[in-house]
Amino acid sequence: MDLITVAREAGLEFKVNVRGHEFSSDMSVSDGGRDAAPAPAELVGGALGACIAMMVQAYCDTCGYTDGEVGVSLAVELGDNPKRVAGFVIDLELPADVPEEKYDVIMRVAEKCSIHETLANPPRVDIDIT
Amino acid sequence: MEQKEFGGKMLDIDEDGFIQDPEDWNEAVAADLAKTEGVEELTENHWKIVHYLRDYYLQYNMAPMIRKLCKQTGFKLKEIYDLFPSGPAKGACKVAGLPKPTGCV
Repeated sequence: MDLITVAREAGLEFKVNVRGHEFSSDMSVSDGGRDAAPAPAELVGGALGACIAMMVQAYCDTCGYTDGEVGVSLAVELGDNPKRVAGFVIDLELPADVPEEKYDVIMRVAEKCSIHETLANPPRVDIDIT
Repeated sequence: MEQKEFGGKMLDIDEDGFIQDPEDWNEAVAADLAKTEGVEELTENHWKIVHYLRDYYLQYNMAPMIRKLCKQTGFKLKEIYDLFPSGPAKGACKVAGLPKPTGCV
């Protein structure tokens, strides 16, 4: 994958650049930021929700389920000691013509998305000071 | 410790507006706490969530997981956020007089 860069914008707000696409991340006011953009943990939640939605939408498109769109509502549950994301709660909406007997298959499709797999099998994180 | 009036009583609150003593809670306090979360009127659906959270907390001394809240009250996640825009943890728990949830987001 291409290089992702993160550069300070102002205060605790940082701009992320991915292949020319830019977005920001900031902390809430109560956590010392200006709430100018989603917090990093919220971006992780957004990445998981988007990844699940893409996979399930592709499955529905392939199977011809077209009565409505795939949608995700997601909440991030936080934990302490250490501070972290402790869980994600996800409601998945499906096109109305998806038969109930396909729900198990769709759950497996959702759980096979790369971000879900990444969270289920934590990656190595190698940090160096340069 | 900052104090603010809720339900006609001066109550200790933390920096995020959570009341410090759950025993101070009553429905008048809840109604005023809700206004600080942008909820001007507590409907039957709000009360269903608030009472479930409070009963759970009084029984287990902790807030329920969000999925359990959804299952037990019958609300979808999005419906909970429609009722409490700041969410089940920072919004609904505050209105129910529970301690501030942990975490930094």
